[in-house]
Amino acid sequence: MFKFIPYILKSLWRHRARTLLTVSGTAVALLVFCFIGAVQQGLLALTATEDAGRTLIVFQENRFCPQSSRLPQDYERTISKITGVKDVVPIKVFTNNCRASLDSIVFQGIQPEKLKAWRDFDLQSGDFTSFAAQDDAALVGVDIATRRGLKVGDKFTIGDVSVVVRGVFQSATAAENNLVFTQLEFLQRARGANEVGTVTQLEVHLNDSADPQKIAKQIDQVFKTGPVATTTRTKGMFQADTLADLAELIGFVHWLGYACVGLVLSLVATTTVMAVQDRIKEHAVLQTLGLRPSRVFALVITESLLLSTLGGILGVVGSTLLLSSSGMSVAAEGVTIAFEPSFVLAIQGVLIAIVVGILAGIAPGWQAARTEIVPALRHA
Amino acid sequence: MSLVYVTNVTKEYANGEEMIRPLDGVSLSIDEGDFVSLMGASGSGKSTLLNLIAGIDQVTSGEIVVAGTDITKLSRGKLADWRAAHIGYIFQTHNLIPVLTAYENVELPLLLLPMSGAERRKRVEIALEAVDLTSRVTHYPRQMSGGQEQRVGIARAIVANPTVVVADEPTGSLDDETTEQILQLLERVNNELSMTLLMVTHDADAGSRAKRKIRLERGKLMENGKDTKTAQLRTA
Ligand SMILES: Nc1ncnc2c1ncn2[C@@H]1O[C@H](COP(=O)(O)OP(=O)(O)O)[C@@H](O)[C@H]1O
Ligand SMILES: [Mg+2]
Repeated sequence: MFKFIPYILKSLWRHRARTLLTVSGTAVALLVFCFIGAVQQGLLALTATEDAGRTLIVFQENRFCPQSSRLPQDYERTISKITGVKDVVPIKVFTNNCRASLDSIVFQGIQPEKLKAWRDFDLQSGDFTSFAAQDDAALVGVDIATRRGLKVGDKFTIGDVSVVVRGVFQSATAAENNLVFTQLEFLQRARGANEVGTVTQLEVHLNDSADPQKIAKQIDQVFKTGPVATTTRTKGMFQADTLADLAELIGFVHWLGYACVGLVLSLVATTTVMAVQDRIKEHAVLQTLGLRPSRVFALVITESLLLSTLGGILGVVGSTLLLSSSGMSVAAEGVTIAFEPSFVLAIQGVLIAIVVGILAGIAPGWQAARTEIVPALRHA
Repeated sequence: MSLVYVTNVTKEYANGEEMIRPLDGVSLSIDEGDFVSLMGASGSGKSTLLNLIAGIDQVTSGEIVVAGTDITKLSRGKLADWRAAHIGYIFQTHNLIPVLTAYENVELPLLLLPMSGAERRKRVEIALEAVDLTSRVTHYPRQMSGGQEQRVGIARAIVANPTVVVADEPTGSLDDETTEQILQLLERVNNELSMTLLMVTHDADAGSRAKRKIRLERGKLMENGKDTKTAQLRTA
């Protein structure tokens, strides 16, 4: 069958306008498919990591936007005393946009020593010491740095917060590449005098043997009658709750991904049907020379497979380039979903293109293989 | 011993209510190395008989044995393999593959046979030489004249060294001068390459170039004014 590959390629090239349109249509559809998949994976990544199930977030009861949650910072001491708690990280969160946005910037004010202990990142530029030594210093996630064109030494301002970039970091957790870390006290003061001594949330790290659900209940119990009541959830639950609206939307967009696959199927099938109808006589000649009907079927399938696989590869490569170069993300209420290319998604995209190519070729291939030779030879 | 035996072959088509029977109990045998012309009026069933012998059409009843194989009993796939090995088909309108060069068109039948690349190259070169087209190997069909295209078509039909070469009106769409060239070429294929040739034509001049001439009339085969069936019965 490989001996016929040049013939198939030349046939595709003969109708290059049609071939190109089909391949590019397939590429665009697969690009969208992979993009949607990446958004979905970003959402899953927030709730699926081990850290998401073992770390607790303490938030003010019935509050959602980080601006509106205000917990006394000294809750830290009370929580630290609970058995099973390893460490408590007080965090002040500030964001330029609480609603769902593609360009929201989320600041997390964290004490430098806690930042070092509980955040896993590599500095691409700058250094940690100069960050820790400077009051208004910031470490900027690589995706924000790319999006906003920031580098070490730059000063940038969001609302009434002005910081100087002292480092650009790449985090192991994709969503964190969309964060800006500052000193806790700085962010507290920057938001006005009445914010001093309050934090947005407390991140509670547990010992390996501790039961997260039990401790969460315990924490909420302790503060039930306190100055500010709390809601404590695992980090995964907290993020899922915060992004519930967005998650619903993303779940719906998922169907658009399947629609893209359907689109590719009909596009490639249409082109293949046209190619077969153009070549009724040619296939009859090949059969006269001794090509088996099953081989005619294989020829048609191969042609449709080439079209969709080529389009699929271009679409997957395109989406990978787009996702990795743009550092795109969507955030709501201080929680970010990062859109990341992934190997699994790329393989999935190409496999889908292959399967769709085969499916699209079956009907026209069958038609071509069943064609009676003599009437087809009389065909104009 | 003949190479081709057509025994009591009938072919019918349903045309609405009415039945058309272009072949009505036709019998014929063709000897190895013969050059047979099959003539008759338009619509007399010449192409139908040729296509049955070439294994691209199915009989309604009867038997066709070529080189010991009853081809009416073969499945579609097996019949295709059989054609690849035993039949060279020359079409009226060459029917070359437009996206392939002259060389690639001639090579096509060999791709269906178990053969090394070197062997293929050798055979294609010999076939192209036989039709005197060695200077046109990289040309595409649209870059050639009608006569050249038909010569490529002949090269393609003989390249695999088939048991029988069939030609359906091979000069039907050519001018007189080119017709003469093609007929001479077919005579050479028969004489010098010793290939068995069956040529359908409605042109009496072309038909007269064959060693043996038969006619189809009203569903029956006639040779020298007699029904071939009776002629065959006599020799049997
Ligand atoms: N597929 C078909 N359906 C119905 N009738 C057909 C078909 N093919 C051929 N015929 C009829 O069979 C007869 C013989 O056709 P053909 O063998 O092509 O004649 P010739 O080649 O001698 O001109 C004609 O009357 C033609 O109309
Ligand atoms: Mg005819």
